[in-house]
Amino acid sequence: MPLRPFNPSGELVFPLSQHIGKPAKAVVKKNDPVLAGQLIGEADGFVSANVICSCSGKVTAVEKRRTISGQLQECVVVENDGQFTPAADYETRRDLTNLTNRDILDAVKAAGIVGLGGAGFPTHVKLAPKNPDSIRYVIANGAECEPYLTCNDQLMRTKAAEIVEGLELILRLFPNAEGVIGIEKNKPQAIAAMEQAVSGKERMSVRALETKYPQGGEHNLIKVIVGADYPVKMLPADMGCIVDNVGTIYAIQRAVCYGEPLFTHVLTVTGEAIAKPQNFIVRDGTNVRELLEECGGFREDPKKVLAGGPMMGFALGSLEVPVVKTTNGLTCLVEDGVELAQKRVTHCLGCGRCTTVCPTGLLPGLMADAVRKGDYERYEKKLYGLECVACGSCTYICPANRPLTETFKRVKAEIMAQKRAAQAGGNK
Amino acid sequence: MNPTLNLSSGPHVRGKLTTARIMFLVCLTLLPAAAVGVAVYGLHALWIIVASVASAWATEFIFDTLTNRPETWKDGSAVVTGLMLALTLSPSVPLYIPIIGGIFAIGVVKCCFGGLGKNFINPALAARCFLLISFPTAMTEFAVDGVAMATPVAELAAGKAVNITQMFLGTTNGVIGSSVLCLLIGGMILWSLDIIHGQICFSVLGGFTLFMAIFGGQGFDPEFLLAHLCGGGVMIGAFFMATDYVTSPVSRLGQTVYGVLIGVLGALFRICGHAADSFSYSVIVGNLFVPLIDTYVVSKPYAFRKHALRIQRGEPRKTLGKLIPKPVIALTVIALVSGLALSGAFSVTKDTIEKQERAKAAAAYQSVLPGAEDFTFLDHLTADYAGKTYGTDFGNVTINEAVEGKDASGKTIGYGINVTSNEGYEGNVSLTVGVTAEGVVTSISYTNLKETPGKGMLCGEPAFMDQFNNRRVTAFVLNASGDNSIDGVTGATITSKASVNAVNAALDFFANVIRGE
Repeated sequence: MPLRPFNPSGELVFPLSQHIGKPAKAVVKKNDPVLAGQLIGEADGFVSANVICSCSGKVTAVEKRRTISGQLQECVVVENDGQFTPAADYETRRDLTNLTNRDILDAVKAAGIVGLGGAGFPTHVKLAPKNPDSIRYVIANGAECEPYLTCNDQLMRTKAAEIVEGLELILRLFPNAEGVIGIEKNKPQAIAAMEQAVSGKERMSVRALETKYPQGGEHNLIKVIVGADYPVKMLPADMGCIVDNVGTIYAIQRAVCYGEPLFTHVLTVTGEAIAKPQNFIVRDGTNVRELLEECGGFREDPKKVLAGGPMMGFALGSLEVPVVKTTNGLTCLVEDGVELAQKRVTHCLGCGRCTTVCPTGLLPGLMADAVRKGDYERYEKKLYGLECVACGSCTYICPANRPLTETFKRVKAEIMAQKRAAQAGGNK
Repeated sequence: MNPTLNLSSGPHVRGKLTTARIMFLVCLTLLPAAAVGVAVYGLHALWIIVASVASAWATEFIFDTLTNRPETWKDGSAVVTGLMLALTLSPSVPLYIPIIGGIFAIGVVKCCFGGLGKNFINPALAARCFLLISFPTAMTEFAVDGVAMATPVAELAAGKAVNITQMFLGTTNGVIGSSVLCLLIGGMILWSLDIIHGQICFSVLGGFTLFMAIFGGQGFDPEFLLAHLCGGGVMIGAFFMATDYVTSPVSRLGQTVYGVLIGVLGALFRICGHAADSFSYSVIVGNLFVPLIDTYVVSKPYAFRKHALRIQRGEPRKTLGKLIPKPVIALTVIALVSGLALSGAFSVTKDTIEKQERAKAAAAYQSVLPGAEDFTFLDHLTADYAGKTYGTDFGNVTINEAVEGKDASGKTIGYGINVTSNEGYEGNVSLTVGVTAEGVVTSISYTNLKETPGKGMLCGEPAFMDQFNNRRVTAFVLNASGDNSIDGVTGATITSKASVNAVNAALDFFANVIRGE
């Protein structure tokens, strides 16, 4: 399914928090005219990111709207004039002869680039670790291990040279690092395209990875490349690694070489319920319903519409929400695995499959048992429960259909809340 | 375009593997062993399997219905329990035994503790032990074609030679599921498919073999070890019983500890206790340790293991070799073990056992003829009687050996005669009788006495043995009043009788063969 640009006709909504960290501050107000590529929300603080308008038109409101996560958040609402007039020339290549590292970081920050793999961590922060010389690997994440999603595969096939140039730009920041492009083996065309693009380049290679969920998880990629896992309290940079999604790297290339901020990205619309599954280059702020209608609507009523893939994606409560930077897929499922599992759940057999599949090496069966007994001490200290990355593998494999991941996410939130409360109490 | 959407936490899709599918696979891998059982032991074995499976399944169905619990009878776990129970029963048990066993396994051990996933010991084995206690005779009688015989493990324990090839194929007398070949193939398939954990089955086998080699009394003798591995449910225990999900630990480390524990206990029980059922008990004892193991023996996540910590500190990585795929290992193991067992090279453990017997016998001769320095075997006299029942008045006895004992000056001081009575309570009783040239019994010494502790074993105490000393009679009589009377051990008439018969046979042999030559 090739990538197809999609220009929406309805109003566009831009949440001011599409990233991890502090929400951006709106720099436009009602009735302001805006252009595609114009800054409408400014990063507020160190860990924050700019928000960019993706169409031309007029701001109709700055108000709380329902977002893709289901929460009400401050959003800039823009009436689309259908022209998509760009704020600047994004087609002419800039002169990069005097480009400094500072210029690269500034361009990335100005473009509002965040991790497009799903987490949305501000990229300019990630690219500025304490000790750039200690970084040994810059890993381009092209694993795309979530089932159903194929947009990054398409991106790598069609924009291989651009991704490689983006990776070269990042490597400039890290003189001792080697660039590794990790792609799962089930994407042979993407591997071939990327291999061709890196041929002759220094400090760069393509690594074909075993097709195995969650291969594209940051922990797993680093484990494959560096040879060891690391605890959640460590950052990838502590392991000498910087991991960026190939989409993010492409956005960096656009931002540095063409001055184009991040307001479009790739997205897969898929699932059994959708009439015509497609890959798009979609504009941020596009209404989810409009995008699904563009795919011919539903062939069959879906039980669930997910932002992201079926493993780690989250379920949408309403279709009247905008696509954000980190939305890399819309998966429309006819069958809800969670609903079926709830009907079939039985006692834990102790089969140990959860242990076998856990990418972190945890003992999910025993963790769930500790939770059942209310023994959070054992959960945290003896079983390392907080190391869970919520990949969902244990729940997927469980023959007894037990809701393991769900339990661990809840318990992690509870324990973290308790810790924060204890800390706050201690500070009084 | 306005669907009602479900809201719930991911993952939103689920794997295809269900409990029912796992149970189906386990049943499938047990079927070859069951088929061989039916082929070897006849149609009655089939009825036992059917009765056991049906009663287990029906019990779960009735329990689910009566208690209004989720319909777990549909997942087939009761079928697996029934099938496993049947495979551990003698092919000659009456049909009420598997039926009672199935009801006990599912009704008491599984359902009463909360159903699938909640039982604390393996239901099939618990039922087997329950039956062993309730119906000791029927459960330990192994008849082939109507002839009751000892199982190979019982014979092995009695120091007799066994045919490993037959044990391996399952054509010897034993439980229905005694085909080691079929169980090995079934187990290996389950392991290749990741249904059972290699950490458990291989550490059971490893622990058992190692302990047997060190403490079994025969050293690293492949014939002896192979014979023990092929008998008494070691295979079904290691691959099908110990690996039962519910009653085994979750972490790999815990599984290894648990496996070794079962293997070692199995070997220990076999060496020191009642041979035939040692493995049933060792697995159950292992099951009881599982909650403890799961509490204290848990593995750390990858990020906290030595290898990862080294790399996190920035030390260079050590590359690991590529792993050999499981099916390849499985096939190699099957081929290797089959080759060894079927080649016939190790089919009989006779030689080693004979060596051991000779050593024991020599010690016995020394004790019954204290002044003797030199022993001459009277093989020319005993050869005619080898392996045959001796005489008509002593029951089923065999003259094994006779020696002439001479002192330092070359003067004959007496004779030692080793006799076996096959009519002990739990097997054979062998003893050596010392007789002076004049026909006076010096003393007796047992070379094999493995009877009931506290009863038959008391025959080995001086109170019984010393009665024979320094008496000269034609034949002793048990519990009589005359000069030739011997007081039997209370409650061990059979062992006492066998001992007296053996002594009498020796005296007869002395009088009529050695003296009459």
